[in-house]
Amino acid sequence: MNLLRHAGLVAGKDLRVEMRSRVATNQVAPFAVLVLVLFAFALDPDRGVLVRAAAGLFWVAVLFSALLAVQRSQSIDAADGVPDALRLAALDPAAVFLGKAAALAVQLLALELLLGIGVVVLYGVDVAGVGTLAVTCLVATAGVAAAGTVYGVLAAGLRVRDTLLPLLLLPVLAPVLIAATRASEAALLGGAVDVAAADWIRLLGVFAIAYVAFGALAYGSLLEDV
Amino acid sequence: MSYVVAGYGVTLLALAAYAAHLVVRGRSLRRRLPPARG
Amino acid sequence: MSAGRRGAASVGTTVLGITALVGVGVTVGLGLALPDTREQGEYARLIAVHPPIAWVAYVAVGVTALGSALWLWPRTRSSAWDVLAGASAEIAVVFTALTLVTGSIWGRATWGVWWAWDARLTLTAVLLVMELGYLALRRVPAPRSVRATRAAIAALLAAVVVPVNHMAVDWWRTLHQGRSLVRPDPGEAADPPFVAAMLVGFVAMTLVYAWMLWHRTRVANLEEQLEHEGLRAALAERHAEGRAQIEAEVAAR
Repeated sequence: MNLLRHAGLVAGKDLRVEMRSRVATNQVAPFAVLVLVLFAFALDPDRGVLVRAAAGLFWVAVLFSALLAVQRSQSIDAADGVPDALRLAALDPAAVFLGKAAALAVQLLALELLLGIGVVVLYGVDVAGVGTLAVTCLVATAGVAAAGTVYGVLAAGLRVRDTLLPLLLLPVLAPVLIAATRASEAALLGGAVDVAAADWIRLLGVFAIAYVAFGALAYGSLLEDV
Repeated sequence: MSYVVAGYGVTLLALAAYAAHLVVRGRSLRRRLPPARG
Repeated sequence: MSAGRRGAASVGTTVLGITALVGVGVTVGLGLALPDTREQGEYARLIAVHPPIAWVAYVAVGVTALGSALWLWPRTRSSAWDVLAGASAEIAVVFTALTLVTGSIWGRATWGVWWAWDARLTLTAVLLVMELGYLALRRVPAPRSVRATRAAIAALLAAVVVPVNHMAVDWWRTLHQGRSLVRPDPGEAADPPFVAAMLVGFVAMTLVYAWMLWHRTRVANLEEQLEHEGLRAALAERHAEGRAQIEAEVAAR
């Protein structure tokens, strides 16, 4: 289908830019690990607090890193007048949205892998239900990437973008944080697919579908105004 | 009793303050506009 | 005194305002006259203010969402909807913050703590932050229709998350405390005098909201008028300056 093919082109472009500039690997990834370290400084590493809180701390680190990744995703376009170029190329805005969200999702998943290793190594967490964890990460990331991309373009081009984006995006991601943490806790603290975890993952799915759909619909009007 | 008073009090205060702000702002805007408006 | 023109008011709003004021007075009177209850002692009296204020906060948010949708829909597009959405959002902030404050006071009275991660309070807090974000977005300098469209989309995006957030926070807190933790719940004081006071409160607060909405939209319209006037006056001044300059040059020849 044309839409998916075009989305793939856009995603490929974004990922190629990242591979050449390496901003996510050189700046966002170290930031993510830094957040984990800061949590260890703030909480007591010796009393098991870190292990009990690991799931939540993991997802908070993911959200903070996502803010940077979203802003980066929009910046690479702003510099070279890419939105206009994409419009001239008659690309469906929905395809542009899906492509950017997909590229963002790939980067976030890589960050989550890194953070997962970080949590295991730095906090001494034992991972039991890897399957549940993987599914949680996939579904949650889809939602974060979709919401991030659409709020990213909403705040794009504004001088207050850097302070406005977190204020707009983070409250909206609150349910993702709650649901992903609860589902991850089930995986980290033992047990196979927990019934409760499945419910949380379903909620994450609803969120993801809602924001992918909305983003695809709204991206057009937002691109026109940027 | 004080909590009830606090609850009612803060409600009335906040609503009155915002209402007054709207009226004052409206009047100051009206003053700055040329008089010929309907 | 000028010829009956008082700021942004008109006869209609004056009548509405007086009715609202009377309504609030009656509410306060009824509320304070309520008897003590078994479960909450005297604190159940807050039933006349807290639920009505929360109700208006939700109504205000709903009006903002509605105005946003009507602005975005091409067939109904009109700047009036954008003005409505913005005005209602500002009022929503006032009422949402007040919901949190009265809820906190009620919680302090009945639970002994100023804040508990009760589902309702938590959701209201998240809602307040989203409203503030929306208002921040509206203040960004940009051409009017661009700003309106962005704000409208942000409002609807937030509306999408409200039900999902509701379920997430509800499940989250239910797991930990079970559903019917003692909380400032109208259900606990369901006797007629309490329900009556609450209903009067609903009506009174809705009237207050209507009055505020009317005034806030007029303020917004006046602000825009002022902007246009300012521009028109500046252009006229420039014209006059230019003309004067030309005339001076002609006279000097």
